[in-house]
Amino acid sequence: MLRRRSFTAGLTAAASLPLPAIAQSVGQQGRKGGDVIVAMTAAPPTIDAMATTAQAARNISMHMYESLYTRDEGANPQPELAEGVDIAADGMTYTFKLRGGVKFHNGKPMTSGDAKASMERYAKLGGSKDALKAVAAFETPNASTLVLKMGSIFPGLIEAISSPRAPFVIVPEEECGKPLGQIGNIGTGPFQFAEYKPDSHIKMTRYDGYAANKAFDKRDGYTGKKTPYFDSVTIRIITEGGARTAGLQTGELHVLETLDVAAAKRLKDDKGIKTYTMMPWAFLTLMMNNNWGLTANPAIRKAIQAALEVEEIAAIASDGLYRLDPAWQYPGTNYFPGDAGLDAYVKQNQAKAKAALQAAGYNGEELQVICDSSIKWHLDTGTVAAEQLRAAGFKVKLNVMDWPTVNAARVKPEGWNLWPLAMGIEPYEGPYNVVGFFAGSAPVQIKPDPVIEDSNKKLATQLKLDDRKAAVKAFQDRLYDQAIAVKVCDIGVIQATRANVMNYAPYRTQRMWDCWFA
Amino acid sequence: MLRLIIVRLLAAVPVLFVVSLVSFGLTLLVPGDIASEMAGPTATAADVARVRAELGLNQPPLERMVQWYGGVLRGNLGRSILLNQSVGQAVLERLPVTLSLTLMGLGIACLIGIPAGLLAAAKARRWPDQVTMAGAMLGLSLPDFWLGLLLIYVFGVLLHWLPTGGFVAPGTDLLGWLRSIALPAASLALTQLGPIARMTRSAALEVASSDFIRTARAKGLAEPRVYARHVLAGSMVPILTVVGIGFGLSLGGALVVEQVFSLPGVGRLVIGAVLRRDWPVIQGGLLLTTCIFVLVNLVVDLLYLWVDPRLRENA
Repeated sequence: MLRRRSFTAGLTAAASLPLPAIAQSVGQQGRKGGDVIVAMTAAPPTIDAMATTAQAARNISMHMYESLYTRDEGANPQPELAEGVDIAADGMTYTFKLRGGVKFHNGKPMTSGDAKASMERYAKLGGSKDALKAVAAFETPNASTLVLKMGSIFPGLIEAISSPRAPFVIVPEEECGKPLGQIGNIGTGPFQFAEYKPDSHIKMTRYDGYAANKAFDKRDGYTGKKTPYFDSVTIRIITEGGARTAGLQTGELHVLETLDVAAAKRLKDDKGIKTYTMMPWAFLTLMMNNNWGLTANPAIRKAIQAALEVEEIAAIASDGLYRLDPAWQYPGTNYFPGDAGLDAYVKQNQAKAKAALQAAGYNGEELQVICDSSIKWHLDTGTVAAEQLRAAGFKVKLNVMDWPTVNAARVKPEGWNLWPLAMGIEPYEGPYNVVGFFAGSAPVQIKPDPVIEDSNKKLATQLKLDDRKAAVKAFQDRLYDQAIAVKVCDIGVIQATRANVMNYAPYRTQRMWDCWFA
Repeated sequence: MLRLIIVRLLAAVPVLFVVSLVSFGLTLLVPGDIASEMAGPTATAADVARVRAELGLNQPPLERMVQWYGGVLRGNLGRSILLNQSVGQAVLERLPVTLSLTLMGLGIACLIGIPAGLLAAAKARRWPDQVTMAGAMLGLSLPDFWLGLLLIYVFGVLLHWLPTGGFVAPGTDLLGWLRSIALPAASLALTQLGPIARMTRSAALEVASSDFIRTARAKGLAEPRVYARHVLAGSMVPILTVVGIGFGLSLGGALVVEQVFSLPGVGRLVIGAVLRRDWPVIQGGLLLTTCIFVLVNLVVDLLYLWVDPRLRENA
C-alpha cells in the first residue's frame, strides 16, 4: 500500500535561501494603472520560456507564464498552478491536483491535458529537460489531475520542476507541437504578451482574467497571491550601463535590472531613486580543467588554490559588493554543508603555493586562463587571478574572448586550465545543478571525479534528506581536497526603482505584480 | 549616364559575392555558435549539442552555403534563428531607424561643416579659421560612444530637454521621432563634421585662388556671395567625396550609437547577431549594408556629373 504525504505540508528537499528582509507594505492599498518601464541589460536569445536558461528570458517569462510548482521568497518549492502534490511512499508516483478556474490568456481554461502536453514538450526541448529523465509517463485521469509515473526514483523532482532556470511553464496543448522558438506567447500569468520588438522592447499588458492563487495571502517569490496593478509592463533592452542609469535619473525608466555599484554610490542621496541590494546573487568561481595540461595534476591545482588571494579578486570583480563564503551552498539553506575548516584552503599562502609547485616539478609551462569580456565579474576575476598566479611563479597566458568563443572553448577537453564563472541561478535552486555541473556525462572540470559522481547519484536517489545533505558535504569536501574548482565569494547586485514605484521587492527577476505607482 | 549606371551595378555583383563569401568564411571560422547562447552559460556540452540539433545547425558548411546562395538568388536572405523571422524582414524593419539616424547625422554635419569650412577658408590663418579647425579636430578625435554618453548626461539628465534613449517611429509621433533621434544624430554629426569642414576648407582655398573667382571679385561681388555661390560650387566634387565616405563611416558609427541610445536599428541587429552567432542575420545584414555602400557610391558618382559638367564628357 502506498503511503502518501503532501509535499507542501512536509517539504523535505527545500532549499530555503535567506534573502534580504523586505517590508511587504502591509496595509498599503495598490492602485491600478500606468505603464511601468523596466530596463534589462541584455536581449533574450528567445522568449520561448522552456527553451532557454538565460536570465533575460526569465525577466520576461515569469510575468507571462506559470508552472505547476515554483519557488517562494526563500527559494523553496511551492505550488503555483497545482494545489499540491501527493508523492507515493516509494517515490514512484507524483499526483498533482491542478488549481481550478485558471484560464490561459486566450480565454481557454487550463486542464491536465495542457499540463501533460507542456511537460512532454519540455521533455523534448526544455532547457533543463534532464529533470524529467526519470519520468516514465504522464497520465491524466481527469481534467484536473496530472500523474507522473516515474521510471526510477528521483527525490529532487519537485525542486527540479519548480526551478525558474528554464521554467517548466504550462502552455495550451495546441501550442505544444510547435518547434523551439516558434511557440505562441500564451500563458496563465498576471501579464499577457502584447508586442515584442527584438533589440528594443517587449510589452505585456495586465491580464484581467488572471486567477490569483487563493492559498496565499500575498506575493511570495515567484508564487503567492499575485495581483497585477500596472496596465502594462514594458521591458526595454538597454545594454549600456550609463544609459540605463541616465534613464532612471530622468524618470524615463522606472525599474533597473541592475545598477552599477559606483552609480548606486553616486545616487545614494537622490530622493527620486530607491536602491535594493540582492545578496547573495551568485557564486563567483574559478573552474579548473582536471583533464589537460598543468591542472590535470592535483598538486598544481592545490598550488593555484594556495596562490590566490580570493578577497582581492572578490573586491575588484564585484566593486566591493561581495561576501566571503567558501561553502558551495548558501549559508542558512537546507543543504548548507558548513564551512568549518575551509580557511586553510581559501587563505592565500604563497609559501605553500611555491612549495607545492616545486613538489609538482613545475617547469615554467604556461597556464591558460580563458575568460570573456562580456561580464565584468568574469573579466576581472580572470585578470586579477592571472596576476596573482604570476606573482606566485606561474607563467600565465590570459585569453580574453567574447562569450560564445569562451563557451565553445571551455567545453573542449583541452586548451584551457582556468575559467572564471559566476553561477547565478544554480545555487539559488539548491544543490542539484551545482553538484550536477561537476558530474554526469560532461562535467565542467572535463574528467569525471568518482567521489562527485557518487555524491550526484546519492543526491538524485536517496529518499532521506540527511543522506542527500551528506552527499552535498562529500561533494564540497572533494572540491576542496582535490582543488577541483575555486569558490571566490558570493556576489550581490543592486536593483533600483524610481521612488514612485511602490511595494517593490528585489528578487531574481524584477517582479512587476503587486507593485504600483504612487 | 544609363550605361554608367548599368556598368556600375554589374560591377557590384562580384563585390557582393566576395563580401558574402568572406563573411561566410568568417562565421565558419569564429568559434562558438548560437546553440551555446540559447542553452545558457552553465549548459553542458551535451545540452549545447542537443540545442544545435534542434535548431538544425548540424548541416555541413558547404551544404549550408549552397542553400544560402540559392536562397539569395531567389531573393531570400534566410531566416534568423533567434528572431524567428526572415532576415530580409528583420533588416527592413530596422533600416528606417539606421537610415534616419545616418541621414540626419550627415545632414547636420553638412549643414554645419560646409559653412564652417567656407568660413575657415575665407578667414584663412586668422582666428575664425583656427577656432573652426580646432573644433573640427576635436570632433574628429572624440569617440562617438563617449560623445553619446556626454550628450545624454548634459541634455537628458542635467537639462531634461531630450530623451536619453529609445526610438519613436515618425509615423507615430513626428515630434517624438525628432526628439528621439536628435542626440544620437548629433553624436554622429559631431564626429563627421570635422572631416567635412576640413575638406571644404582645403577645397575652397584651392578654388578661391582660381581665375574665375578673381573675375567674380573684379565684377564687384561681395565676398560672402563669392564663397556661397562660386567657391562652393567649384569645391563640390571633393566635398561630395568626403560626404560619400562619411555616409559609410556614419553607417559604421551607427553601430555604436545605436547601442548607446538603445535604438533598434540594423547596427544593433548585426552586433547582436555577431555576439550570438546568428549567422543568417550576419550574412544578410552584411550583404544589405554592402548594397547600401555600393548604391551610395553610385549616387555620389552621379552627383559628380551633376555638379561638374566637365565630367559628363568622359562619362
